[in-house]
Amino acid sequence: MSPALFQTLLHASLALCVLGLLWRASAWFRLRIGPDARAATPWRRVLAVCHGVGAALFSRRVLRLPGALVLDVLLLRRLFASGKLRWLGHLLILAGFTLLLMMHALAPLVSARLFPGYQPTLVPYLFLRNLFGVMVLVGVALLLFGRWRAGLPSRPMGAVFVALLGLVLVSGFLLEAHKIASPRAFYRMAQQFVGAAGSAELKPLRAFWASEFGVAFNDLKGAIAPDLLARGRKLHGDACAACHTQPAAAFVSYPVARMLAPATGFLDAGGADTWLLYLHLCACFLGLASLPFTRLFHAVAAPISVLIDAAGPSSAMSAAGRASRRALALDACVRCGICDLDCSVAPLARYLGNPGLLPSYKLMSTGALAGGHQQRSGRKRDGLGGEALRAAEGAFLCTDCGRCTDRCPVALDLEDLWAAGRGDLAAAGLPAPAQWIKARPAFAWAEYLEASPGAHTSSEPGGAYALLSADSRLFSRCVQCQTCTNVCPVVAHSMGSAHGIDLTPQKVMNLLRLGLRDLTLGSRMVWDCATCYQCQENCPEGLRVADIMLELRALAVQRLGTVRGLKEPS
Amino acid sequence: MTGASAERYDVAVIGAGMAGMAAALFAAERGLSCIQIGNGGGILYASGLLDLLGVQPMAERRMWDSPYEALTALARQEPMHPLARVDARSIRSAFDTFITALGAAGIAYAPLGDRNRNVLTSIGTIKTTFGVPRAMVAGVYALEARPPCLLVDFRGLREFSARQIAATLGRGWPGLRHQRIEFPGYEAVPELYAAHLARALETRETRARTIALVKPLLGDARAVGFPAVLGLARASEVHAAFETGLGVPVFEIPTMPTSVPGLRFLWALEEAVSARGVRRRHQGKVRGLAFDGEAGTAVLTLDDVPGGECVSARAVVLATGRFTGRGLIADRGGVRERILGLPVYQPASREDWHQRDFLDPSGHPINRAGLRTDDAWRPLDASGKAAWPRLFAVGSILAHQDWMRSKCGSGLAIATAWAAIAQADRQLRGTGAG
Repeated sequence: MSPALFQTLLHASLALCVLGLLWRASAWFRLRIGPDARAATPWRRVLAVCHGVGAALFSRRVLRLPGALVLDVLLLRRLFASGKLRWLGHLLILAGFTLLLMMHALAPLVSARLFPGYQPTLVPYLFLRNLFGVMVLVGVALLLFGRWRAGLPSRPMGAVFVALLGLVLVSGFLLEAHKIASPRAFYRMAQQFVGAAGSAELKPLRAFWASEFGVAFNDLKGAIAPDLLARGRKLHGDACAACHTQPAAAFVSYPVARMLAPATGFLDAGGADTWLLYLHLCACFLGLASLPFTRLFHAVAAPISVLIDAAGPSSAMSAAGRASRRALALDACVRCGICDLDCSVAPLARYLGNPGLLPSYKLMSTGALAGGHQQRSGRKRDGLGGEALRAAEGAFLCTDCGRCTDRCPVALDLEDLWAAGRGDLAAAGLPAPAQWIKARPAFAWAEYLEASPGAHTSSEPGGAYALLSADSRLFSRCVQCQTCTNVCPVVAHSMGSAHGIDLTPQKVMNLLRLGLRDLTLGSRMVWDCATCYQCQENCPEGLRVADIMLELRALAVQRLGTVRGLKEPS
Repeated sequence: MTGASAERYDVAVIGAGMAGMAAALFAAERGLSCIQIGNGGGILYASGLLDLLGVQPMAERRMWDSPYEALTALARQEPMHPLARVDARSIRSAFDTFITALGAAGIAYAPLGDRNRNVLTSIGTIKTTFGVPRAMVAGVYALEARPPCLLVDFRGLREFSARQIAATLGRGWPGLRHQRIEFPGYEAVPELYAAHLARALETRETRARTIALVKPLLGDARAVGFPAVLGLARASEVHAAFETGLGVPVFEIPTMPTSVPGLRFLWALEEAVSARGVRRRHQGKVRGLAFDGEAGTAVLTLDDVPGGECVSARAVVLATGRFTGRGLIADRGGVRERILGLPVYQPASREDWHQRDFLDPSGHPINRAGLRTDDAWRPLDASGKAAWPRLFAVGSILAHQDWMRSKCGSGLAIATAWAAIAQADRQLRGTGAG
C-alpha cells in the first residue's frame, strides 16, 4: 500500500471515528429520560457534568477513583462476580487487544521508542504478537460460547463488531503466515539486504532459510548438503540475523505457514502479500471508523459509567447530572443480560409472555420512549401503542428489588433509570396500573369484565405456572378467622380514613373460595397491599395470602387491561 | 438413601404447634442443634392459657382443683394415656422451663402453684386451666371473690360483648357492671379488629385517652376487665400502664380465637425458640423423610424452596398434630399418618368412630386415635417395634388421649415434648458425635 493511500485512509477513518464519538457522546447531553430531565437544556447539562467532575476531583471521593480504575475498569471486578467465564473472555479481549494496539498497530509510536532494536520479526515480538492475537480470539470464543450456553440471543451490532474483530485477526495471522512462507518476500528482502543478484550466490542463504525459517521454495528438492547450510548460516548471520529470528516463535502463524507451503507459489503469483495487507489494514480502518457505531462503543461508555459510580450515588448528583448519567447508561449497556438472569420478576415475564419486564429490554424501551419512538411504533390500542403498553406493564410490575443495579457489570444505576422511565410513561398517558385500576371501584371492574364478551373466552395463561388463585387447595382451608386482617398493617392504617380499603384480606380469600375472583381484581386491598407477608406468616391454616395478592395484581393488569378502554357497561 | 444434605442438625422437629415449639425449645435448652419445620400459625387458636389436666375421668366430667391429683387418678385409671407416662417431677420442670422462656420473650405468667384456676371467657362461661398469664390473673381472683367489678368493651369490636358476660354471670355476681366506650381514634370505623386496637394501645396517647374514658366509669369497681387487646409486642408495659392509670387491678378476658393473646403467644414462642438458635423453616413442609441406617441420620425433604431441599438430622421429633394439624389424615379408608404412613391406633371401622350421642361425656373413639409409642416415645411400626431408633412422637398425634375433653392439651404437648427430648438427648449422647 502506498504511504499516501495509507495516510489518507488512516486519517479518514480517524476523522470518522472522532466525529462519531462526538456525536454519540453528545447524546449524553441531549437525550431526556425522566420528568426531572426535561427542564435542563443540553448546555446546562454540560455545565452540570463539568461541575460534577470538578467537585469529584477536588473531594475525598477522588481517592476512590484509582482503585476503581484498576479493579473495575482494568481488571473488570464486577464482571468477575457475575461469571468467571465471561470475565475471562472479556479480560483476554481487553488485554490482548490493548497490547496488540500498543505493540503492533502503534509500533512506531510505542514499541520502537520503548524498546530500541524493536523489529516485528524478532523474538519476543513474534511470539507476543501471536499470543495477544490468540488471547483476543480465545476471548471472543469464550464470550460467544457463554452467550450460547446461557441461551442469550445474538444482536446485529454485536455481530458486526465480532465479525470485524475476527477479520482483523485472521487476516493478520494469514498475512504473517504468508510472509513467512513466501519465496517472493525472501527474494525482495535478499535483494535489499544481501544485494546478490544471481541465484547462485543466494543458494546457501536460500538453503538455510528453507530449512530454518520455513520459506517454501518450490524449486528446492532433496536433502540439503551440510556445507551449503553452514555457508548459508554465515551469510544469514551477516545480513539477516539482526532483524530475523526463527519464526517458529510465531506459534500460530508458523504452523499456518507450513500448512500453506504447497500453495505458496500460487499465492505469490496472485499477489497475496498485497491483498492480504489491504484486507488487514482496511479491516482495521473500518473497525476504527465504525467504533462509535458498534458494540465496541461500550468500551468508551462503560469505563465512564464505572468511574461515575465510584465517585458517588445518583442521588447525590444534580438533576442535570443524573439525566446525563441515564443517557450514558444507554450506551454503556451491551445488553449482556446478566440483569435478566437474576431479575425478581423474570418468572412473571415468562408467565405473561412479556420480555418487556426484563431489565435489558426495559433499558431499550426506556431509551426508545425518551427518543420519542415508542408512540409511533406498535399496534394502536386506546390510542396508545401496544408496544408502549407492554413496556408500561414491564415498568410497573418491577418490584424495585435493586438486583439488576447490584449485578450490572458496568455499574449502571438501573433503579434510577426505571424510576425515570416510569415518570416518562406516566407523562405519556400510561400511569402505573395501581393508578388507573384504583380509578374505578372493584365491583365496577367486575361489571366491566362481566359485560365484556372477551373476558369470558380469554383463556388463563397456563403452562408451567399454575395459578395460586385458581388452585382451591391453596385457599379452601380458610376458616375466616380474621388473623390476616388482624395482623395487616394496611388495614390497620386505613381504618377510619376516607380512603379506607374496601375488602379485608380475609374477605379477598373468601371471594376466592366462592369463585368470585373477578370481584377482587380491582380491590384496594389487592392494590394497597404492602406485601409485608404478615398475613402469610401468621395464617393458622398456612394459606399463601400475600403470594395470592401479588398474583391477583398480575392478573388484574392482564385482565382489566382488556376492558380498560371500554365505555361504561349498560 | 444418601441424601445430599446441605444442613445437618442433632434434632429435626417437624411441626410448630404447641408440642413442636416445646420440643424445639427443650432441645435447644439442652444444647442440641435443632431445626424446626412448619408453620406456627396453628398456635393462634390458643390463648396463652396453659391447661395441664382438668377433667378425669371424662365420662364422669369430674373437675379437679389440683392437676397433680388429677394426674395421679389418670395414672391409675388410664395407664396408657401419654400424660400418665410422664412423672410429676418432669412435668413440673417442663412447665417451669416453658413459662420461664415465655417470660423472657414477653409473656409473664402468674406463679403456677399446684392448683387449677377458673378464668372468664368472652361469652361469660368459665374455663378451668392451669397456667395463667399475669395480664389475666386479676380476673381469676375477681371471679373467686366477686367484688364490685367493671367490664369494658369497645363499640365495633364484634367479637366481645361485656354486656353478654355480665348477663351470664350477673345473677351470682351483683357488683358486676358493664360499659361500652368508643375506642379513641376509631370513632368513625364501623368494624374494629382486636390486633389493630392492641397496636394502637402501644402508643402513649391512645393509652392515655382510653384510660381517661374509663376512669370516670370506675365507681366502686375493685377490678376492671377488658377484652384482650392491651398491647401486642409490648403487652406487659400496656397492662402495667392501665393498672397504674386506673388505680385498680386490670385483667384481660381472652376473645374468640384467633385472638390477640394467641398472637402474643405465637410471637413469644417464635422468639424464645429463635433466640436459642433453633433454625426455623416456618414456610416449609416436610415432603419426605428417609432414614440412612449406615450414617445413623434421617434425611428430610423440604418443599419451601423451588425444587426442594434436603436437611439431615440425627434425631427426628414428629409433632405434626392430629387432624387439624394434618399430622393424621382421615379419609374413607381410615386414618393414616401423613409423612411416614406409620400405623395409626384407631377404631376398627368408620362406624365405630363416633358414639351415638354427639355430646356423650366419654368422648368419641376417633378422638383417641393416634400413634402408639414404646417407653422411649418412639412410634411403633407395623411389627410393633420402634420405627427408627431416634424417631420420636409428641403432642396430640399420640394415641390414647382426648385432650379437648380432658382439658390437657398444653400439658400433653409440653410434658411429652420434655420426656421425648430427654430420651433423644440421652440417645444422642450415648451414640457419641455424629
